[in-house]
Amino acid sequence: MAAVPATRSRLRLPLGTILQHLVIVFFMLVILLPVVWVILLSLKPLTESYSSQLWPSRFDFSHYGFVVTKIQTLPRNMFNSIFVTLSTVLITTLCAVLGGYALVHVKLPGRALLIWLLVASLFFPTRLLSLISIYEIQRQLGLINTVVGLIFPYVTLNLAISILIMRGIFEQLPHELVEASRIDGCGPWRTLLFVLAPLLLNGVVVVSMVNFVSAWGEYLLAVTLTNDQSVRTLPVVLASAHSGMGQWAYPRIAAVYVIAITPGIIVFALIQRLYFKGLTEGALKL
Amino acid sequence: MAIAVSKEAGGVRSRQSAYRLRDYTNWMFLVPATFFFVGWQIYPILRVFALSFTDYKYLETAPPNFVGLQNYVDAFSDPIFHTGLLRAFQFTVMFVPLTILLPLLLAALIDRVESPRLAFFYRLVLLIPAVIPGPLIFVLWKWLYDFQMGPINTILIEWFGLFTRQTAPQWLGGTPLSLPAVVIMEVWWGLGYHTVFFLAGLAAIPKDLPEQARIDGANEWQLFWRVTVPRLMPILSVLVVLRFGTAMSVIDEFLIFGGFQRTSPTYTWTVYMYDLAFKIGYWLQGYASAIGWLGALAMMVFVVGMLYIFRSRD
Repeated sequence: MAAVPATRSRLRLPLGTILQHLVIVFFMLVILLPVVWVILLSLKPLTESYSSQLWPSRFDFSHYGFVVTKIQTLPRNMFNSIFVTLSTVLITTLCAVLGGYALVHVKLPGRALLIWLLVASLFFPTRLLSLISIYEIQRQLGLINTVVGLIFPYVTLNLAISILIMRGIFEQLPHELVEASRIDGCGPWRTLLFVLAPLLLNGVVVVSMVNFVSAWGEYLLAVTLTNDQSVRTLPVVLASAHSGMGQWAYPRIAAVYVIAITPGIIVFALIQRLYFKGLTEGALKL
Repeated sequence: MAIAVSKEAGGVRSRQSAYRLRDYTNWMFLVPATFFFVGWQIYPILRVFALSFTDYKYLETAPPNFVGLQNYVDAFSDPIFHTGLLRAFQFTVMFVPLTILLPLLLAALIDRVESPRLAFFYRLVLLIPAVIPGPLIFVLWKWLYDFQMGPINTILIEWFGLFTRQTAPQWLGGTPLSLPAVVIMEVWWGLGYHTVFFLAGLAAIPKDLPEQARIDGANEWQLFWRVTVPRLMPILSVLVVLRFGTAMSVIDEFLIFGGFQRTSPTYTWTVYMYDLAFKIGYWLQGYASAIGWLGALAMMVFVVGMLYIFRSRD
């Protein structure tokens, strides 16, 4: 760009650059402000619960302590969310690694059909349509109104996309590696465990992140399949906590809210480098 | 393990049986995924399909009767279903162009940022909404839109002086603004994620291509439409179809924002299905299944049509 000598374009370039950055900064603010607002809300004193003032007159950090200790079911709800999310992430990632491996490096009849089915399922409103029958299945298995029961449908939410992402990752790995390991006498299991597993990190990070976000925030299934406050997850509690008095005054719900979104942001901040690498490595090539 | 054993025993056995054993264990890789797929996706969808031909009511003890196509016939002349489909379609038509074009523009701008540090910072901010789960976004925006304490109205009233407290817009609660309000929220939610998606696509365009076009006298606008967009077409078309599908079958945000109020624009065919299956009377799941399948088929017609159009262009 520096190679353009004409004075006209040299004058135009800074103006364009300024405009460009203004637009970008505007969008960045649009993205950040709602999150900043809810953090500020969680720090407002109770007397300002209903005021439209954006900036609190003084910062009150007591709501965080209050919601954790005084709202009796809340620690339970947090535990439910953590338990369901971790189980879902673990199981789905395992299924996705095995499935992705099978679709790339292992001889399977009907492989093309399987891949076609997985892709097709991305376009079909499975989650919505299967709901009626999932309720029935869970009831028959005695899993209605249990925390463990949520894990089964949660695993399927992103299973197809997870397998496809891992398939993309496996396709990036050199086939010679697999060949060499096969010639050395390793079966497909040993090849996966000892030769390929260390190379999968970035892909596993992407898949875990996708599943973490969807399981941590899942609402529709959780609200349909559970009834009691003590087996509910955080998003359901938050969505049904009607604004108002006492326990659920706005600053207090906002504190619960900030607690709910923090793990995702922290985890993401820790692994973002791997995440971006995973994305460019093959996660985007469906 | 089984493979190691069969290898050692392979001296005596024929090669063929070792292969067969291997093929059999190969399927083992897919067993965990298949278990979940069949149990909680394939079976439920087929079961719902079967239910749609019965008068199944969940809370009634009498066994369901086979009613043939009656549910589908009823649905065809059900005005609530028609309005529901129409509302979902209105939402989709507002949502899809915005959620594709705004991120595309933003990605084109960020792609031109020279400083790698700044570019990295931007990407990080972009992904913040993407790591907040959807339903939590909906809860947040429900507060943002709140008539009384929501900051959106506060800004419109106190900063811009567009309204007074009495005339301020009522965003949610079944007003005509409800659908646009959901659209704005959804666009905000997808903004960062889609931009990152496009940035990855832009990174794959060789840098000398836009350079060459600039030297040939193309301005930035022409560059965007003639070089960038065609190059992004594969990603773009997949995203359009995917978003069309998700937008037509949106339900969580409508439940959180509008509940089961039938006059609300957020009462789409998906909410109607849910209402029938889990709320109304004896839980009319047979009829709800038919509504679900019809709605799904209606949107699949568009999805397949769009996939066909995009494919033939490649």
